[in-house]
Amino acid sequence: MIQSIPEALSLILTFEGMLVLTLGTMLGIILGALPGIGSTVAVAMILPFTLTMSQAPAILLLLAIYAGSVYGGSISAILINTPGTPQSAATCLDGYPMAQRGEAGKALGWSTIASVCGGLFSAVVLIFAAPQLAAFALNFGPIETFALILLGLTCIVSVSEGSLIKGLIAGFIGIFLSTVGGDPITGEARFTFGQFQLIAGFNLLAVVIGVFALSEVLIRAAALRDGDTPLVDFDGIVLPKLREWKGRIKGLVKSVLIGTGIGILPGTGAATAAFISYAEARRSAPTRDNFGKGEPDGLIASESANNAVTGGALVPTMALGIPGDAITAVMLATLTLHGVTPGIRLMTENPVLMAAIFSGFFVINLMLLPLGMLVSRMAAPILRIKEAYMLVMITLLCTVGVYFVRGIPFDLLVMAGAGILGFTLRRQGYPMAPLVIGMVLGPTLEISLRQGLIITDGSFAAFFVGHPIAAVLVAAAFGILSLPFVRMLKNRKAS
Amino acid sequence: MLKYSIAALALAACPATVSAEGFPERPINLVVPFNAGGGTDLLLRAFAPHMAEALGGNAFVSNMAGGSGTIAAGALAGQKPDGYQLGYWSVTVATVQPQIKDVPYGVDSWTPICSVAASPTVLFTQADSPFQTIEDVVAAVKADPGKYIYGSSGPGAITHLTAVAAFSGLGVIDDMKHLPFQGSGPALQAMAAGTIQFFGDTELLMASGDFRPLVVFNSERLESMPDVPTATEVGISAPLNELYLWGGFFGPAGMDPEITATLSKACEAAMNSDGFQKFAADTSTVLDYRNAADFDAFFRAQYEANSTLIEAAGL
Repeated sequence: MIQSIPEALSLILTFEGMLVLTLGTMLGIILGALPGIGSTVAVAMILPFTLTMSQAPAILLLLAIYAGSVYGGSISAILINTPGTPQSAATCLDGYPMAQRGEAGKALGWSTIASVCGGLFSAVVLIFAAPQLAAFALNFGPIETFALILLGLTCIVSVSEGSLIKGLIAGFIGIFLSTVGGDPITGEARFTFGQFQLIAGFNLLAVVIGVFALSEVLIRAAALRDGDTPLVDFDGIVLPKLREWKGRIKGLVKSVLIGTGIGILPGTGAATAAFISYAEARRSAPTRDNFGKGEPDGLIASESANNAVTGGALVPTMALGIPGDAITAVMLATLTLHGVTPGIRLMTENPVLMAAIFSGFFVINLMLLPLGMLVSRMAAPILRIKEAYMLVMITLLCTVGVYFVRGIPFDLLVMAGAGILGFTLRRQGYPMAPLVIGMVLGPTLEISLRQGLIITDGSFAAFFVGHPIAAVLVAAAFGILSLPFVRMLKNRKAS
Repeated sequence: MLKYSIAALALAACPATVSAEGFPERPINLVVPFNAGGGTDLLLRAFAPHMAEALGGNAFVSNMAGGSGTIAAGALAGQKPDGYQLGYWSVTVATVQPQIKDVPYGVDSWTPICSVAASPTVLFTQADSPFQTIEDVVAAVKADPGKYIYGSSGPGAITHLTAVAAFSGLGVIDDMKHLPFQGSGPALQAMAAGTIQFFGDTELLMASGDFRPLVVFNSERLESMPDVPTATEVGISAPLNELYLWGGFFGPAGMDPEITATLSKACEAAMNSDGFQKFAADTSTVLDYRNAADFDAFFRAQYEANSTLIEAAGL
């Protein structure tokens, strides 16, 4: 693998190679920033264009689109509170408050550097340890996955600013919404009330855009008095100074590790990684009390983790030939179309191509920095529009984005409903992040729990016998859940 | 006023009487019932330009994912049968889902146009598994009821039905457990980890990992694996002995026979084009053309045959 890198570089450092990487990354950032398109659709849209290209540029173009789109989602999340994809939903939590405070440029600076760090680290992991990590990830069966997701759900506690009860209620609403649709084990339709369209459940993107972006539009519209102030003040990315990194490196490293690790596991993804990493930062960062109010550490946590997932997800894909999600499945399909047999022998049979893919992936992540600055610069003039017009534009963008994914009008109703629900709940002081977390993690929680119960013949106790990883993760989850109560008791004693 | 009304009525009536002559006048929408990037999506994106050329018009692909393909099929059923919207349904979308879920379409909702692909399914185990033959498997399951698990990419999917056809046909299904996953990728990872022992899919899978085929659900042995017995050979009786992952184009019921014939011929020409033949060879897609009449008969027979399988699967 490593000895093939020099030869691989001669494939990348050509005019065609660099052109593909630059244009691909830039296009990926733009597609990711537009709500609704997201990584999977972006990659699938570009796929037909790769058919006439040779092997290495074709797959590098798709990788560039992939990495670019995951980063691009953070631009709209920070500037207009509209996550381009569910994976940047956690970025809204601190990114948008920073932007509202007039620090949009700084927020994007943090998110850009964090994304680059996350992507680069995961690329290094991919180059040096893919086969070993892929083998280790196989230890994560349904029971371990259930324990991990349970731990992830405890982040609802930490993102519930204000009221823990309200946060839990929002979280349960999210989990409940995720149970609507086909039963993952029996295939039966649940909670559809005879509505055929609900057979596939609520579209996650429609709900996320509804509760974040549309509800924000409604709240702003309700408070609209003087229409002359622009929504956010933004003139381009302001990169963080070196000394501002003081005390934040540890959090960055932790988030990057979480992102890469979760990326390697099957059946999870960038949205899960971003939320779990955000929750961990919120639990342990020295600045935790500022989270949710525009704290750079929160941005670093979510953005470095979701970009680290990109490299992590490629680990099982390239080492085992088994795609963990829809995007990596497209990558493997592309290889097939170019006459490369994906599978367990992929790396041994095509060492140069694989080295080219991995080193190209490294270069792509380096390019995120200059290209991210360029693309968000282009967004700046748009943001100077009057607030009222801006709100209309956001609504339009959301509508087109949600409709674009499946072309089903019903999804627009879901978005509108989620927007009104979000508006009502937010006015009553319910946080929206737990709702989205519940919806993102709910399906994996359910299927892994029920798979586990099938394996153990219905014994929940058997989850912890012979599954040490699961036992540790569940113990950690209960520890975090009891923390607020322990603190409450302590305060009571003190007073 | 009356004059205008009549003119308006005449205008409104125009599109309703779709003329076969001059078809197609506008682009044809080929609906993929799954997400962009999946196997069906790739197939259709490769197919569309050749279909367009054969028709002398335009054709484009759109995705409408959800509910194992039923969202798209439900949306297309009952639409105007003008030939401008065609769905590419697989065996599960067309014959399995309507028998296990409450969906707004059934066997009579369609005008079958042409079949495009059909691959026999194969039951696999991991290459390092102790089971050399299907007889070993049956003996082991009988000796240790409740121990062995077969996986699938989801309830009612072709991967599920393959395992059901095998184990129900061999009479051991009640001694085994079924573990559905969300997609084939996670299921195959679970097989590599040893969580599940068996998985069924098309032979395409053989290339991508270290698997050992146990039995093929085809009328005869496959060229690519001549040593693997057919289901009939190991004692699995009809209708469980043959199972194919097939797919083809359907329009809403009640299409003009001339338009159906035009589309069916164009479909054949597109499938025979050099470009699509190359795609099929590159992706090991087994092409299987049937014209509208043959496909209609095949589809109805499959609908019947699969009801046995659905019952055996307990769906």
